[in-house]
Amino acid sequence: MPSSNREKFKSRRAFNLYLATLVLAPGNVLSQTQNSTTIRFGLTPVFLNDDVQLLLVIKNYLEIATGYTIELTTRRTYQEITSLLVSGQLDAAWICGYPFVKFENELEILAVPEWNGKPLYQSYLITKFDREASRLSDLRGDIHAFSDPDSNSGYLVTTALLQENGLSADTFFKKTLFTYSHRNVIRAVASGLVQSGSVDGYVWEVMREIDPGLVAGTKIVKKSDWFGFPPIAVIKRFGQTQQANALKRALLSSSETEAGRAMLDYLRLTGFVDANPTLFDSVKRNIDRLGGLL
Amino acid sequence: MNPLRRFGQLSSAFRVPLMVMLLMTAVSIVLSERVLTRLSQNQEAYLEGLAGSYLDGIAASVSPSVLRQDSWEVFDVLLRMKPQRAAIQPRETVITDANDIILASDKPDAHPTLERMDAEFQMEFSEGRMRLDTVSQLAFMARSINHNEEVIGKAYVVFDASYLLNERREVLLTLLLTNALLTMLLVAIGFFVVRRMVLPMQILEIHLQKAASGGLEPISDSEFPGAGGEAKRIFGAFNHLVKSEKGREELVDRLTKEERMASLGRIASGMAHEINNPLGGLLNAADTLEKHGHREKVRFETIDLIKRGLLGIRDVVQAALVTYRPERSSRMFTTKDLEDVALLLKPELTSRTQELIISSSPSICSFDGLPAGPMRQAIMNLVLNASNASPHGADIVLCVNQSKDAIYLEVRDAGEGLPGAVGEILTAPIKSGIPDGMTGLGLWVVRQIADELGATLSVKPNNPNGTIIEIVIPRRPLEVIHAAA
Repeated sequence: MPSSNREKFKSRRAFNLYLATLVLAPGNVLSQTQNSTTIRFGLTPVFLNDDVQLLLVIKNYLEIATGYTIELTTRRTYQEITSLLVSGQLDAAWICGYPFVKFENELEILAVPEWNGKPLYQSYLITKFDREASRLSDLRGDIHAFSDPDSNSGYLVTTALLQENGLSADTFFKKTLFTYSHRNVIRAVASGLVQSGSVDGYVWEVMREIDPGLVAGTKIVKKSDWFGFPPIAVIKRFGQTQQANALKRALLSSSETEAGRAMLDYLRLTGFVDANPTLFDSVKRNIDRLGGLL
Repeated sequence: MNPLRRFGQLSSAFRVPLMVMLLMTAVSIVLSERVLTRLSQNQEAYLEGLAGSYLDGIAASVSPSVLRQDSWEVFDVLLRMKPQRAAIQPRETVITDANDIILASDKPDAHPTLERMDAEFQMEFSEGRMRLDTVSQLAFMARSINHNEEVIGKAYVVFDASYLLNERREVLLTLLLTNALLTMLLVAIGFFVVRRMVLPMQILEIHLQKAASGGLEPISDSEFPGAGGEAKRIFGAFNHLVKSEKGREELVDRLTKEERMASLGRIASGMAHEINNPLGGLLNAADTLEKHGHREKVRFETIDLIKRGLLGIRDVVQAALVTYRPERSSRMFTTKDLEDVALLLKPELTSRTQELIISSSPSICSFDGLPAGPMRQAIMNLVLNASNASPHGADIVLCVNQSKDAIYLEVRDAGEGLPGAVGEILTAPIKSGIPDGMTGLGLWVVRQIADELGATLSVKPNNPNGTIIEIVIPRRPLEVIHAAA
């Protein structure tokens, strides 16, 4: 592999993903898509990707707004969706900031959701509601639940914080496990299966509205700094297509139509904005901080 | 009192229905027990089948996650596989690895992740079998989780068995209630039916008891208005028996009277003979006085002769009075009565050229106040019977002896022996009726008197021929004997 490519993949995980992309991506995938009337849209478990009603709402709006048939694809892990996107088997996907940064050379931002009027969110360290814990050090020796190894808020932020404090997740926690969903992190903590977890602040807050009984079993130990909200990304080659433009327009104007507002209400978002990749510089800094540990 | 004895003393009208009730209750208890045992076995087999299926599903589903030691996946599977509507609900499920370290539980607070399995909790499970605890209403079952025939973990499930146990309790209550009601109903029916069935026997028993104490009465229709079939036939037979017995009693009374009349005739004839002899002498004496009364010596001798003749007549009359009008004389039996008997029977015996030989122990001076009337009657009847049985010219022997306990009277004849049926009148344990073909009631009266005196009669052969009839009269207090008299 050329040295330039070696630098491009900032971690072994990213390199593996690249290899998977090469295997999964036939050369003519993109050309087929460009002439298609379908937009293949991937959803990572950044939110409630197992909510069928939500999927219908998104599909319904995007089809109305773009005029294309929307083919929604969900997978259990971020890595699967990212691989499908990078390999061209998906036209666009709602991914996390962390994989976007890892593949920023292949991907470009189509739109970024706004939550409470800002395209930003936080990572929360949570524990059981009745536990005496108010800072990171109180969580030492816990069984800790991460969301996904490719999640910024559900893995990267906490790992970087520990690194910042000269610690590592492997030694600081008794054991760590991945639940592959922010909602599952909340369930694991609330049930007592684990003592603490790293969760997307946006998901935790929205879940507090729609499932207060579950979230009431947890409490926030620490909120992180603000990070760029998980974006809707496309591979750069797809970015200039009519489908991509239609999708972008639909997302950016979602607050202007009833179907769009219905989707935004369901997602508890205020809208979508066009954003610069620098929005994810803080994510990039954490990746850089962890270096070869990832 | 012993309850069994008390039960045994109950009337059959109550005893039989009670036994029916006890039998039905026992049958009911046995049936209930068998049904419940079978229900318990079926329920436990059903529960074990359900639990086994659940555990099979759990083991198969968590097996890959257990292999990867992925606690979240195991937990997620446990929650997703938890049945919402089933006969049994898993209350707790714990999955451990091969070293009994908890990978996940659906109750993480009770079974913390990555802690060693609680030994006390583990003890609740029996290897390979479901254990049902009826007190806590929980069922415990465990199963190994295998991968490529290697044990990689174990699944422990605690089931809530309250639904099945409640069902069992409801069945028990329903069964007991139904059986109790049915048993009570059948017992009531059985009680009245059996009571009605045994009622004719009870009526018969009452009448038989009355008959034993001398109050033989037929069963009237009013006593059992609904009597029909078998009961009617039994009552009819009893009433027929009563009628026959009453007829027999009337016949005996009539025969007794006739016997007395015949006996009176014989005695009157004897008395007439006894009186007639001195009367002839008295008439002669009167003639003598008329002709030779002026001669002093003749007068005195004749008057003396008249006196002796009159005394003889007086003795005969007195003997007759004592024998046949005993109520006028409540005096006690003495040796003089033996002489009276001889005097009274003399004409009868003389007519058969027989003689009564009285053999009395000289030491006898007291008969302990035995009543004279019945004793004289009995002796006279025995002697007359012996006279009738003996040929002309034979001697009849009357022996009287005593010991400190009893008085013995023996009458010996020289007849051909007493017929068996006639002998039974005297010796049978219970006084029987008068046998057919018997011509007189003399011996029957003797038995009656003996029974009244508490005496025993025996019959034995006389040597070389004839019969000896013996009366043994035990010595008793005077008042008892007076009462018998």
